[in-house]
Amino acid sequence: MEAPPVTMMPVTGGTINMMEYLLQGSVLDQSLESLLHRLRGLCDNMEPETFLDHEMVFLLKGQQASPFVLRARRSMDKTGMPWHLRYLGQPEIGDKNRHALVRNCVDIATSENLTDFLVEMGFRMDHEFVAKGHVFRKGIMKIVVYKIFRILMPGNTESIEPLSLSYLVELSVVAPAGQDMVSDDMRNFAEQLKPLVHLEKIDPKRLM
Amino acid sequence: MSGVSAVRISIESACEKQVQEVGLDGSETYLQPLSMSQNLARLAQRIDFSQGSGSEEDEPGPGGRDWTSPGDAEDEEGLVKFQPSLWPWDSVRNSLRSALTETCVLYDVLGILKDKKFMTLDPVVQDPPPPKQNPQFLQLISKKKSLAGAAQILLKGAERLSKSVAENQENKRQRDFNSELLRLRQHWKLRKVGDKILGDLSYRSAGSLFPHHGTFEVIKNTDIDLDKKIPEDYCPLDVQIPSDLEGSAYIKVSIQKQAPDIGDLGTVNLFKRPLPKSKPGAPHWQTKLEAAQNVLLCKEIFAQLSREAVQIKSQIPHIVVKNQIISQPFPGLQLSISLCHSSNDKKSQKSASDRQSPEDHLYVLEHNLHQLIREFHKQTLSSTVMPHPASAPFGHKRMKLAGPQAFDKNDINSLQSNEGLLEKIIKQAKHIFLRRRTAQTIDSLASCIEDPQIQAHWSNINDVYESSVKVLITSQGYEQICKSIQLQLNIGVEQIRVVHRDGRVITLSHQEQELQDFLLSQMSQHQVHAVQQLAKVMGWHVLSFSNHVGLGPVESIGNASAITVASPNGDYAISVRNGPESGSKVLVELPRSQCKDLPKSDVLQDGKWNHLRGPFKEVQWNKMEGRNFVYKMELLMAALTPCY
Repeated sequence: MEAPPVTMMPVTGGTINMMEYLLQGSVLDQSLESLLHRLRGLCDNMEPETFLDHEMVFLLKGQQASPFVLRARRSMDKTGMPWHLRYLGQPEIGDKNRHALVRNCVDIATSENLTDFLVEMGFRMDHEFVAKGHVFRKGIMKIVVYKIFRILMPGNTESIEPLSLSYLVELSVVAPAGQDMVSDDMRNFAEQLKPLVHLEKIDPKRLM
Repeated sequence: MSGVSAVRISIESACEKQVQEVGLDGSETYLQPLSMSQNLARLAQRIDFSQGSGSEEDEPGPGGRDWTSPGDAEDEEGLVKFQPSLWPWDSVRNSLRSALTETCVLYDVLGILKDKKFMTLDPVVQDPPPPKQNPQFLQLISKKKSLAGAAQILLKGAERLSKSVAENQENKRQRDFNSELLRLRQHWKLRKVGDKILGDLSYRSAGSLFPHHGTFEVIKNTDIDLDKKIPEDYCPLDVQIPSDLEGSAYIKVSIQKQAPDIGDLGTVNLFKRPLPKSKPGAPHWQTKLEAAQNVLLCKEIFAQLSREAVQIKSQIPHIVVKNQIISQPFPGLQLSISLCHSSNDKKSQKSASDRQSPEDHLYVLEHNLHQLIREFHKQTLSSTVMPHPASAPFGHKRMKLAGPQAFDKNDINSLQSNEGLLEKIIKQAKHIFLRRRTAQTIDSLASCIEDPQIQAHWSNINDVYESSVKVLITSQGYEQICKSIQLQLNIGVEQIRVVHRDGRVITLSHQEQELQDFLLSQMSQHQVHAVQQLAKVMGWHVLSFSNHVGLGPVESIGNASAITVASPNGDYAISVRNGPESGSKVLVELPRSQCKDLPKSDVLQDGKWNHLRGPFKEVQWNKMEGRNFVYKMELLMAALTPCY
């Protein structure tokens, strides 16, 4: 766990100390429809929604070896929604008893001048992308199926091109720390999506 | 002749004769060689037993034949023909002789037999009878056998048929079960757990947060007794609902004027309500499930109400006792909401009928409660929208905006405060009660006061918290000219707003006396207004007019109003004072000239002073002709108007 450079106090208690449980997978474009169909059947009876988000990743390089990363995200298709600032901690793979990747997470809704504020604070934008896809919900579980688009000209979200021929599938739950039980529910849900998509805990460190 | 031979034949062993006869027959090939004993018998016949020697040559060949076969009868006939001529008893003699022979032979044979050395007696071969009887017997047997065989085949076939029919029925029933299951699946949520099929009765998918699991089990009802008649309402699929959801339930809302005995609390009884008849064509499980779901919903409503009743702090605390919630919307008034659940046991049904009568039901509120809980469901379902951007956590949109838009405490409070079910229903009950009481007040006034007539026009379409009524005060026969008082009463939850025709707004509280007093004062004002209108029509002049007279006796309700009108030529004047309590008082002012009893003043000698107005005289109003005040006034005005 890296310590945030801004405050050296550990974040504990309240709604701050939340953990994100995550399972990831991916599907090719041609099998997207069948996956969405399955998800519509499995998830809560809400109107399926699409989203179009623009995400910017900011870095703050301090004395530490690894930079401090913040993600700023805004909705491009829905107006009047606040920006979303997110801090994600180091993912923990854990043992076999835990069926999902776990990482510390802090979610904050902000106003739209967030980027200016971050730049003022000394953050530097590392990269940005556009995510476009579908979002589902089942209880406290959130399922997002989206494609990542590369932004060709920095700052211009109109000119984009897809990064790959596949969609990223994420099953996530944000819960207070220590509630590993939710990972069982996630595992069960992931089982129901097989063989359309295999959701696994993917260690980003191994991919690097 | 034949008789003779017949006698012979009968004595001769039947076997020998028959054999030869058979042999001649041809069809029977049977010709048995003579057995030893027969041979011996024959030989013994040949041995001369008779004394007559002459017969020895004749007899050996034909003699044997003679005994044995009637075929050689001709020889004998010859003999017979010949003998009678000799001696009439000859035939008898011959017969006796041959009988003797036979007997002797028999005797010898028996003698030989007795030794058992040379001869034994064997049972006569039984073959001959079978060939004769067998065909028939066999035929019978074979027929019987083949019949039995055929019967067996038929039986087997029948058995197989019945088996297949039964199987068919079983299959059909299975198919029926599956099709019923399919129909069930179209209406209800089902899932398979182990080897059971469980269904979901709850409103959870519709947004309910009621913790009752609300599951029912689907039972296959196919193994019924085939022999028994299948009942008409047989259904291969049955459902088992939780025992606490059985029976029927409803929410009862009522408003009572007086507080009941404390002992009666929580003992709201059911009156029996017949179970809803199943719709034609609908399977019986559908009605069963719907009833159970209704019970579940009623329980949820009541649970929600009682939770709120405990949580909400009001001036007079709400009381929750057993299956009843009691609240006091207005002083002296009691709103009771109770959950009536009749399971099918006798006890609850018995106590049901006698005490409660269905009159004090407020069906509108009961219906609204159902509507409110559904709105509540919808709210919980739709309050959590999908997050945008997609990485954001779930939650209310407004709550998320609270930070970036720097909401203050009031804003945040307004986000969270939402009125509960109980508060809403109490408000509705208040409104209903207020409306009802207003109607009663207006009606009672209209019925007991005849003169100014009061009309109420209720609007048909109301809000749950507001309704309006238009009140017109008129005089019979003068509706066209007396339209001064038109009131619009807006009945709210706590108070009644009265809007005058001229735009004045008066707010009355929920006390019925206020409304009554107000209407009484309006009615009294109406009379004076009517006089004013009438004066215009009759050509009289209004000298003065006041809605609120400051003089005279003080009225307990409102103020008296007064008007003075003068006749067209100015000779007469009529003054009317009308108070809500004191009633009307009509005075007529006569010209001085018409007053005989006026003391002659020394000062006013001149004749012109006769045109001065004289004193007022009160009219004995109740002795006036006319059916109502305005009519009387019209008559009075007409009488005081001189005809030119």
